[in-house]
Amino acid sequence: MKKLISLLLLFTFGLSSCEKDDICDANTPTTPRLVITFYDIANPTKTKNVSNLKVIGDEMKEGIVFNESLAVDDSLRYVTNASTVMIPLKVNDSTVTFKFIYNSLNPAAINTDVIKFNYSTQNVYVSRACGFKTIFQLRNVLPFVQTDPDGDSIWMTDVILENPNIESENETHIKVYF
Amino acid sequence: MKHTLKFISSLSLLFSMFLGYAQDVPEISKNLKDTVTTKKPKTETVKTVKPEIQEAQAPKDSVVKTDRYGLRVGVDLYKLTRGLYDKNYKGVEFVGDWRLTKKYYIAAELGYEDKTTEDDRLTSAANGTYLKAGFDYNFYQNWLDMENLITIGLRGGFSSFSQELINYKIYNPNPYWGELPPITEGQKYNGLTATWLEVAMGLKAQVFRNVFVGFGVQLKLLTTNKEPNNFENLYIPGFNRTYDGNFGIGFNYTVSYFIPIYKKKTMASEMAKKEEPKKKK
Repeated sequence: MKKLISLLLLFTFGLSSCEKDDICDANTPTTPRLVITFYDIANPTKTKNVSNLKVIGDEMKEGIVFNESLAVDDSLRYVTNASTVMIPLKVNDSTVTFKFIYNSLNPAAINTDVIKFNYSTQNVYVSRACGFKTIFQLRNVLPFVQTDPDGDSIWMTDVILENPNIESENETHIKVYF
Repeated sequence: MKHTLKFISSLSLLFSMFLGYAQDVPEISKNLKDTVTTKKPKTETVKTVKPEIQEAQAPKDSVVKTDRYGLRVGVDLYKLTRGLYDKNYKGVEFVGDWRLTKKYYIAAELGYEDKTTEDDRLTSAANGTYLKAGFDYNFYQNWLDMENLITIGLRGGFSSFSQELINYKIYNPNPYWGELPPITEGQKYNGLTATWLEVAMGLKAQVFRNVFVGFGVQLKLLTTNKEPNNFENLYIPGFNRTYDGNFGIGFNYTVSYFIPIYKKKTMASEMAKKEEPKKKK
């Protein structure tokens, strides 16, 4: 009987140590962004950093925030100099258009390319706390359309589809050579 | 909050077990003394040194203890009354047990639950029936003709239910395009089943003749769980809320009526003899 009671005590305490699962953990993979990696066209195996690239969604006033820590009115908040960018797609649509503004802080060297992405979405259950996430698949036919509204020749020389299934942010979906 | 409340109540139940146990020991030892002293007068003549003590103990011994056997049926008041104040809950549970031996009872619970769960990011509803069956072991040593129970038992549980995903939100850590309103789904998943094992601790006190009031807590371990495609069983009728692991917890507050069917007579001294070898284990 004593054994039984001590066993029960152990069981009860074991249960009380269960983690609370009401809050969605920030590390849980949820809705992914489209990952674009930039490569040097002269040396295609090497990644290349962009210079003050600003990415603005169609009909949006502000660009995608790349430097969370900077003030809202700081223009550096919306530019990146890295070799990878992550682009949030529209969860409730099947097409999204972004302006990729190269050298955005230098009016003389500015160059804007526009890419329209065509995709399908799927809502996938994650957990009680996180709800659902959306994963994307770029279409087989015309996964993206690149245009140059300025007429000043494209800066993204080669845009290549690497992986049409956008399910995580740990892999590159589109490779850009410039 | 609910979780901690349940935990506290389960702890207090555990402590009440210790109380029951602590009272157990002296009683048994008293009985042991009884047998030692009473064996002698039966074989020998009444010429012993302490006649007064024997006279005091002799009638106690000769008392024939009657154990009543029968069926106890009842209802869970907690589930029944919860429907009155919680608009998201409707449920009922019938409980029953059959006294098999002096200490063992066959026990079962049959119930129905309909619960809507509103989480931060999704709302779902589960409804269905369940059956739990197993046994209870009463380790409470009653005084004379009292019939109270402090039990520990095991149950196997089975639930057949359906789940409905009412609405949900998309978790998007980068809401560049704005936060979306919840998506109304209304998708119903039928034909779901789950089985589990549970350890049930309970306490039943006879408040009037044949009327018992009891409460119990159950610790559950999910063994099988048929889950819907692209969703999860967030609530299983009878098992209650599911957690990340396979554990669950339950609580009930019952009122039951005992229908006596037959009686068994046991001598007080016989009981003591039977318990003697058990204690040595």
